[in-house]
Amino acid sequence: MAKGILIAVSIGIATVLLIVIGTIWPVSTAVFFAGGPGLGGSASTPIAASRRLANEIHQHALAKAYSSLGNKAQFTEQEFVSDLTGSTLSLRTYATLDTYEVRPLHESANEAEIALRMHWSTVVGTFEETRDLHLVKNGDHWVVDWPLVKKPVVPPQVFAVNYLRWDVIYRGAGDDWGSQDVDAPHVRIIDMHPVNRAEGVVVLGELLNEDVVPAYVSVRATLLAKNGSVLASEDSFDKISHTLLPKQVTPFLIRFPGVDISQIASIRMDPISVLVSASADPVIEVQNQKFNGPPAASLNGQLSNQSGQIVNIAHVLTTFYDKNGQLVWVAGQYIDRALLPQTPVDFHIPVPADLAKNIANERTVVASYRSGSSD
Amino acid sequence: MRGLLRGTVKRTESVAPAAPPIPMYLIIMAAFAIHLPLLIKELPLASYDANFHIFFASHYVHHWFNPWNLKWFAGFSQTTYPPLPQQWVALISRLIGLNMAYMAVQMAVIVLLAVGVYRFSLLWVSPRAASFAALASVFLGSESFLVYSAGQLATTSAAPIYLNALPFLFQWVRYGKWRSFVKASVLFTAAAAAHHATLIFGSFFFAVPVLALVFLDRGDDESASTSGVVARTVTIVVFVAIAIAIVLLPFWISLIRYPVTQTPIPHASRANYILSPQWGMNYFVVPYGALILALPFLVVRGAMVPRLRPLLFGFWLAFLVGLGGTTPVGRVLLGRAFEVLTYERFSYWATLLALPILGSITADLVDRFHTRAIIPLSLLAAGTCALAVSWSTFHPADAANFDVQPVAQWLNRDGHYDFRYVTLGFGNKLSRLAVLTRANSVDGESNSARMLPELTKYGGGALTSSKYYEKAGLDSLRAMLHHADHYGLKWVIVRDSYYDPLLHFAGWRQVDSLEDKTITIWSKDGVPPAVPMNSEQIPPHWQGVLWGTLPFGSSILAILVLLIPESRDSEWDEDDTSVAQANLLSGRTV
Amino acid sequence: MNARFLLGALVLGVASVSLAQSGSLSLPPTFVAGSAFSLPTTGSGKAVFYIVGPGQALRRDVDLGEPVSFPAGTLYNAGHYVAILSSGASTETGQFDVVPAAQPEKISFLAKPSRLPVGLHNGISGAAYIFDAYHNLILKPLPVSFELSNQSSTVQARTVTTRNGVAWTEMDSATKQGSAKFVARVGDISSTRVIAEVPGDPCRLVMTARPDGKNVELQTAPLRDCGGNPVPDGTIVTFTESYNGMQSTVDAPLKQGIAKVEMPAYNGARISVASGVVAGNEIRWNGR
Repeated sequence: MAKGILIAVSIGIATVLLIVIGTIWPVSTAVFFAGGPGLGGSASTPIAASRRLANEIHQHALAKAYSSLGNKAQFTEQEFVSDLTGSTLSLRTYATLDTYEVRPLHESANEAEIALRMHWSTVVGTFEETRDLHLVKNGDHWVVDWPLVKKPVVPPQVFAVNYLRWDVIYRGAGDDWGSQDVDAPHVRIIDMHPVNRAEGVVVLGELLNEDVVPAYVSVRATLLAKNGSVLASEDSFDKISHTLLPKQVTPFLIRFPGVDISQIASIRMDPISVLVSASADPVIEVQNQKFNGPPAASLNGQLSNQSGQIVNIAHVLTTFYDKNGQLVWVAGQYIDRALLPQTPVDFHIPVPADLAKNIANERTVVASYRSGSSD
Repeated sequence: MRGLLRGTVKRTESVAPAAPPIPMYLIIMAAFAIHLPLLIKELPLASYDANFHIFFASHYVHHWFNPWNLKWFAGFSQTTYPPLPQQWVALISRLIGLNMAYMAVQMAVIVLLAVGVYRFSLLWVSPRAASFAALASVFLGSESFLVYSAGQLATTSAAPIYLNALPFLFQWVRYGKWRSFVKASVLFTAAAAAHHATLIFGSFFFAVPVLALVFLDRGDDESASTSGVVARTVTIVVFVAIAIAIVLLPFWISLIRYPVTQTPIPHASRANYILSPQWGMNYFVVPYGALILALPFLVVRGAMVPRLRPLLFGFWLAFLVGLGGTTPVGRVLLGRAFEVLTYERFSYWATLLALPILGSITADLVDRFHTRAIIPLSLLAAGTCALAVSWSTFHPADAANFDVQPVAQWLNRDGHYDFRYVTLGFGNKLSRLAVLTRANSVDGESNSARMLPELTKYGGGALTSSKYYEKAGLDSLRAMLHHADHYGLKWVIVRDSYYDPLLHFAGWRQVDSLEDKTITIWSKDGVPPAVPMNSEQIPPHWQGVLWGTLPFGSSILAILVLLIPESRDSEWDEDDTSVAQANLLSGRTV
Repeated sequence: MNARFLLGALVLGVASVSLAQSGSLSLPPTFVAGSAFSLPTTGSGKAVFYIVGPGQALRRDVDLGEPVSFPAGTLYNAGHYVAILSSGASTETGQFDVVPAAQPEKISFLAKPSRLPVGLHNGISGAAYIFDAYHNLILKPLPVSFELSNQSSTVQARTVTTRNGVAWTEMDSATKQGSAKFVARVGDISSTRVIAEVPGDPCRLVMTARPDGKNVELQTAPLRDCGGNPVPDGTIVTFTESYNGMQSTVDAPLKQGIAKVEMPAYNGARISVASGVVAGNEIRWNGR
């Protein structure tokens, strides 16, 4: 009997102990489901307080994050949420905080500056954002002053809209085989240049719609070996502006990971074009582009939506040329905030440092996505 | 059935005249009364995996001897998943269609579980207590959770077969009866053909306590010398291992040639149920139900009765592992496999192991308090069952129920099926769609069967649910869309506009819409028609013949050998009184 | 049953047939597609008569001694046919051709392309396929007249005789833009296609600038190609402004013939304009 009691009590105690251990030092998977490391951690140091805030953002526990802020009296919870998720449908709306890094910039007994670098995951890829947090010691813990980015206010105004769009009626399935159909738009590759990079070969180029109708385009490149066999075949995926209006030019970039340029005898380029319905709007101006040379080479600038429509997601694609006008590189960036009318939004496109010294000029195009639009 | 009910160890729990056990026919009637209406309403179709099993079965309907299925992952082998319950569904579907065939097999499994629990419980407790355990299995929350929420036909099929095999294991190891050896071996093999993991882990949680019981019970029994017990144990282990190796040979070949090396996919059953209480509700409260209230009493009863201690330890271990990431036990015991397995089935096994002790406690309570015990116990049992059954409504596998028939019709016309497709936002309707359409997909729900690097590299689950796997899932989706030409992937069928920006920027055009524009169809231009892929993974014909013959044959053989009558042998049937003594003691402790 | 068959005079005056006395049927070598005919038979008893040809197979139960009638439209596919008569143990066969009717009923007209720039020599091709009422290609040579007309240009006309049922030609696109009607005609039958003759690349791209507050308003002159055709709306014109090592660009579509944008006004800025591969003038902005 005593042995039985001992066993029962031992099992009970061991179970409780194991649960306590599993809760205090959870396994990595449990940490993942509980919202990441540092969950519910203390705010006894500026770093810890910053991490706690980042974890709450990671968990989408934004109300909790807001309540922990030191400067929450300066803005509402809704403004805080809009700051993180965007006030209009944009990449931010459904973004999840994938990882983050905190880096102390300055620390004194009662104040600290921390750089919080956040890596957001979105459906089109990741984007990064750095916020410089100001922290103040409050008793035995630190509180974060959130650097709110004020929501832009679009002044009331009227945009004269002169709609210009193309609609297409294709031949019907039941039409006679001799019936006429509309031809695909004429497009032409006006430049192509393979570049050997550490990760493999990259094929760069530019494609022109030389027709008078809009084209939905894509480019496929096939690498052929010296014996004529196909080494690899890839397409431009999202490194191209797929909708080209008449006489519009888009850059494209096609990656071939793991292939060295010495293996290639020739490259077969297959541009694909389809006649599609399209709209000439919106017009997006690329303003104040400035190329910064190495070591942190990048192109900075602003996008300004010239139309009255909101552009939910914009994709900036830039072609970089050398002083002879030859292609050097193609790079792009998705804009995480919606483009409101006449409201400039910054962009920043990093450029490989080794190529930056050759860059003398650039040309930027913008592809746009509007929710609910089929253009 | 008669063979199953006979041939068990007849035991008496008390020297005093005992109340009779609940007749088995009443327990089976209870199982039918509770589960048959739910199954006729096809409630399991809303579960996570039911359509997955129906999809596999639909392939066996048309290709019984060819396990190569073109409809998922650009081609995959169904030898990556034990086939028995799906083949039974396929066979019965010839008469009543796939859905009802699934329900019929599931109903048979529920009945078989009651019988199996009764027979397994008889090893440990009195017939009356065993009958209460069997009755409790009908209301078991974990069983209902797996049937109606998880849809784990394979797990729920294998466990009853395994439970029915264990008494024969006991008889063979303790008494050396060859008839029991044959029956145990065949049943173990059939259980493995239904679900291999049940056999592997069941050996630790179920078989080891039974073997320990043999040692505890043998006393002065000459036929159960230590060397004899060990020899017989080794004999059956070796024999069963060989039998399973042969019966599931294509499965092992596939596993060896293509080991599961993919990046682990997160599963919420690995969460810490305290830090993530929503998953604690799903994977602990619902499966255990009122059994949670009985846990302290189970431990005390199991510890106080020496014969029940092996069972208690088996239960405890399964219980701890079933808690997923709540304790470090699973991670320590299973190593990397912890990140691959899911833990709701461990909780299921734990509850099965608890049933004999629960039956014993219940019998005591009913005998002592009669109606005052019966009414609250019945209410608790009914509440547990009701919660687990209704959980699929409160916490549905798919947030929105919708009809995939229009999508299937679209894919089945105008040559659309010449290209592959992928769905986004379809949840586990993916399997239902695959049953209905002749078109092939690059996606699928069987994580162990997929071989495409775009699917295995990143740690995301099914592409259709990419966004729930965040960066891993979206990386996987982008990689697949990037290689659309390679796979002949022309159609993306979207039921979640979250994915629209990716398709827009990646060169896909919306070409059609269905169901009042709630489903949109996107196409990529220039994609060549789909061609067969993964040809080196196609099982040779002889494997297809084995796969269509041996697993199903093992179940037929199991039915046949159970028809062999058990001989009455007083040597092990009547003389064992150790349990009676122990239970007398336990009767005073409750 | 020992049967004898006579494939006799045709009811609607199509052809005559001769008696079949042996194992092979004696039939006229050709029938016109879609015409009606009747086959007298001799002998007694019952037999089965089959006709098998391209895309068609007929079966008739025959009372020997009674004529077998085939109404108009029964045999309509041109090509080679086999006739089989089966009665008990004996089988007799014959062969004949069904030829298209001489009268054209339909033209399938393939015109390419549907859209092309103005002033292109031999840029338009047309191929006409001539069919009878039953969609059989008429192989007999027939004259086909092609005519391409644009409201602002002279009509181009050509007559081509079909070879193997097909006639084709090439035409020049007009110098003025517009929709051209491309017609193929055989007798009373014609088929029309519409060819869009569109302007070519802009020939001269000129922009002007004027101040507008803090901005400079840039506007192109109406864009025309080298033939004087206005470049269509929607054509993208790219404005580029360079100043102090910085650059701003706008891709603006032509609307009502001109492209117009506003860009920040910086003294000393160089502003250029281009459309596709055609470059326009450059302005150095000095405030006015």
